[in-house]
Amino acid sequence: MSIIPYARADGALYWQVQARRNIGVRSLFLVVLAFLIAYAVLFPGLFTVSGFAKFTQSWFPLALVAMAQAILMLTGGISLAIGATVSLGAVIAATTMGGPLGIAGGAAAVALAGLGIGAATGFIVVRLRLPAIVVTLAGSFIIGGAALLILPRPGGSIPAWLSDLLAGDTPAAFVLLVVVVLLWKLYLATPLGLSLYAAGENPVGAYRSGVPVDAARVAAYAISGLLSTGAGLFVAAQTGSGDPVIGTAFTLNSIAAAVLGGIGFLGGQGTMRGALAGSLLLSLMISVMFFLGFTPVAQYVAQGLIIIGAVAIPQFRKVQQ
Amino acid sequence: MKKSSFFASASALCLGLVLAVGVASQADAAAKCIKGDRKAPYTIGWANIYSVPTWMKQTQGTIEAEVEALKKQGLVDKLVVTDAQGDANVQIQQIQSMIDSNVDAIILIAGSSTAPARVIADACAKGIAIINFDSLVDTDQVTAKVNTDSSQWGDQAAKFLIDAIGGKGKILILNGPAGVSVSDDRRKGADAELKAHPDVKILAETNTPYNVAPAQEAVTSLLFANPEIDGILSLGGALSAGAVLALDKQGRDQVPITGENARQFLELWKEKGLKSWATMQPNWLGAFATYTAVQALEGKDVPAFVKIPLPVIDNSNIDQYLARAKDFPADGYIYSPYDEELFKKLLAQK
Repeated sequence: MSIIPYARADGALYWQVQARRNIGVRSLFLVVLAFLIAYAVLFPGLFTVSGFAKFTQSWFPLALVAMAQAILMLTGGISLAIGATVSLGAVIAATTMGGPLGIAGGAAAVALAGLGIGAATGFIVVRLRLPAIVVTLAGSFIIGGAALLILPRPGGSIPAWLSDLLAGDTPAAFVLLVVVVLLWKLYLATPLGLSLYAAGENPVGAYRSGVPVDAARVAAYAISGLLSTGAGLFVAAQTGSGDPVIGTAFTLNSIAAAVLGGIGFLGGQGTMRGALAGSLLLSLMISVMFFLGFTPVAQYVAQGLIIIGAVAIPQFRKVQQ
Repeated sequence: MKKSSFFASASALCLGLVLAVGVASQADAAAKCIKGDRKAPYTIGWANIYSVPTWMKQTQGTIEAEVEALKKQGLVDKLVVTDAQGDANVQIQQIQSMIDSNVDAIILIAGSSTAPARVIADACAKGIAIINFDSLVDTDQVTAKVNTDSSQWGDQAAKFLIDAIGGKGKILILNGPAGVSVSDDRRKGADAELKAHPDVKILAETNTPYNVAPAQEAVTSLLFANPEIDGILSLGGALSAGAVLALDKQGRDQVPITGENARQFLELWKEKGLKSWATMQPNWLGAFATYTAVQALEGKDVPAFVKIPLPVIDNSNIDQYLARAKDFPADGYIYSPYDEELFKKLLAQK
């Protein structure tokens, strides 16, 4: 806990640390910036309120799942159940919000489901010492099955005004994202948040230093679950309904975004801003390639090349140094 | 809670009023979404959900052929194609990009029956003609929907099979993926016939992607578990081919089976002398959707729903289909012939 007051007392140190953390992702930021500029040139409507709103809405759920995956990978974990959890969040929202529970009840149900699933997964992985990849793969079948049980086929509904509020012509999604990022910063300042990196990078050392390693990892899973079902809630609002398989693609995309963002599989390496930039790049790519008029086949190839490029650039630098 | 639902209903009411006024003030003949401010030649956006399966490639082939024909008439100048790679969220983003780039028409196969509803409504409000075919979206904010009747498909398939096994026996049911509307609707369509014949016992059901290999695998394991099978109600062509191959590999006798116009299945049907019946989701739905979009943009009224009658393949006409087989990919679908006359007739039906 004593690190924080120091950082506050000496602002210079804080920014030094932040700058050092940026080194690994600087080239990614440049790539993202290039894509943003390209997008703005190709589609000047981006600078209108509704254009900006629609753009951030496409990005928002991917940003949330990228964070959900990144927080796990930082602790040395991983989840293959993120897509299924997004689907579950979406169907819970779509089946409860129009009913007697209302918006608040529905949102609470979504949040509880996410926290509960995440905490349970975390408990199994951390306490029973089972490999995360196996537990979450099995979990994805259970959670995906539960989503299909709740809503066997696409349906349900989200009150229209909530859809218009979250995914209408206002940049509410962007504001929400800023809030989530601020909350993440706050979390990093708590004891559990501080333990996160330590638990991922050197769990044994951290444990011997008195860091609550297990608690930090279980909390990471719980938060990851919450972010995933939250993304599901947003997707349900964005589409006005629930679909039990809507989240499937998010599992791989969340890993892609996190890895693009420089988060290592071994834990303790990388930053949340990297994961967010990774998710932004994945989302931007789709729109930019559309406006450049790429054919679908060329898009497959270009997508692969961009991802390899963005991951490889920092490696080249390291080799040169 | 009460307060919020009051607001919701009040705003819904207001929305309803606005919509009613909007509809009333629209020109009477024009189709839905059409404002009449778009002039030929048009840009057509084809929002595909997944371009890799052969059925999709063939469908895109009919769209491209139709666009070429319409280009010659000076009605279309550009076809923009997107591929969401199976991700309904990406499809929403791509439709949004099409709106941003101001295409004149969007034709789409939806990746989810609910997810694209809001973005489609946005497009419709901007006067873009929207023709939704094959996998439909639950919304009326489209110019037209085009499809065969999936539940009729299931019903007719069940009728044939029950008839073929003499009204009683043990059957397997092969479905497409769970949670997908088309597969769900075909299965539901079969329900009435199955319920009406309690002597038809369902041994097991499978849910697999519409591909030969997974279906073959699923049926193979069911064959081990069930020594006695009298018929197979398959609700997809590749599934049927997989089932026939599974029976063949296990050295089991072929049983009556339903299917689809997959070339592989039709050839197996002929080769093994199967007792079979097949229908199809014609690939030219894509060409027809393109044609319909341009008709609507040209100010013609088009029906909100165009139901395409299911073409049936049985022993009387299978040879005609197989005679054309070489024009189609080996893993493709031999669709019934089409021309502009057929399209005009389909649009004229009410």
